[in-house]
Amino acid sequence: MGHTEFISIWKQQNAKIEKTLAINELLLKEVTNNKARASLKSLIKLKTAGIIAFILYLLLLSYALVYALSNYSAAWNYFIVSVSVIILVNVKGFADYVKHLAWANRINYNGSVMEIQQQLTRLQLSIISHAKSMCIQFPFYTTFYLSSEWFPQQVGPGYLLFQAVLTGSFTYLSYWLYKNHKPENLGKKWFRNMIAGSGGRSVLETMHFYKEMEEFNKEDE
Amino acid sequence: MDKMDKSDVFLCVMEANKGILYKIAHAYCKNAEDRKDLLQEMTVQLWKSFDGYDDQFKHSTWMYRISLNVAISFYRKENSRKRIANPLSGGIIRFPNDEDFTDTETDLGILQQLIAQLKDLDKALMLLYLEERSHKEISGIMGISETNVATKINRIKNSFRQKFTQLKKQ
Repeated sequence: MGHTEFISIWKQQNAKIEKTLAINELLLKEVTNNKARASLKSLIKLKTAGIIAFILYLLLLSYALVYALSNYSAAWNYFIVSVSVIILVNVKGFADYVKHLAWANRINYNGSVMEIQQQLTRLQLSIISHAKSMCIQFPFYTTFYLSSEWFPQQVGPGYLLFQAVLTGSFTYLSYWLYKNHKPENLGKKWFRNMIAGSGGRSVLETMHFYKEMEEFNKEDE
Repeated sequence: MDKMDKSDVFLCVMEANKGILYKIAHAYCKNAEDRKDLLQEMTVQLWKSFDGYDDQFKHSTWMYRISLNVAISFYRKENSRKRIANPLSGGIIRFPNDEDFTDTETDLGILQQLIAQLKDLDKALMLLYLEERSHKEISGIMGISETNVATKINRIKNSFRQKFTQLKKQ
């Protein structure tokens, strides 16, 4: 089979396509009247809703922190440190959402395939990295309710052990998720199993595609 | 260009290049419903980009860029899995009576099968090659060097040759 034969085979469909393929003008008019929605818009809507949720949550946390600081006593220390870290992590999350929204609004498909797909993959990978950075706050949800008035001096060894195991396991989980959530682990079965749950499939596909793009760009000899 | 003129011109461009959209959608979506969604998404993105169309490029080049980017895009894939929020009823581009020409026995059918098995970026490259785009144009659409285009196309063609012969024998 010669090289040009594939082109001849491919051309067999052209006559039929040109002759019988029909454009539905009514539907096309709906598109030009902006009645049809593009899929990135749902991401933009989601991010906008996320930004509003972040603002409300940050306001609530900040109010609690300001209240604790203005009525300061040593008993509030656990709360102040925990809530401060949770606020910092969520401020980073808020900034990520704003960044994603700005990126998603800027993406226009009229660029070279590599350029646009890199932008889209960068956006998707940044969304993944946002998810893993949010894990950092997990341990602090196990400490904000403690008070130096009763912890650790007034609790029994059972509670001490429970608290140590709880905070320790959340700390380890956060560290582990943060450290291992990366494209390099794509080939490992445990990683695929780990992210196969919520949204895992799109994460896997993004990472696969990220690797595919790297390979596609690389072979230049 | 007022809105009326603009949509008329857009319709003409779509009509003249409908084959491009159909072939890309066909190569990237085997499922008929997904294909309808993809064609809608491509059309929406083409319309959104129409204002910024740079007339130093051919309409077909502009359409390839946008349609291939949409076809490869993850956001479309994610959304097509969930079904897009407001699909238009019916398809923007279709054969009368939803006729199709997917088959596995003819040479064209075998070629379509081989294309379907390619990775997304290789698929885009091969579609452009089969549409007889020059290496220079493919390089511009794909965003890789002309040398890279030539190397990859040769590699895919060689693999197609082997597989094609095997499939023909079966």
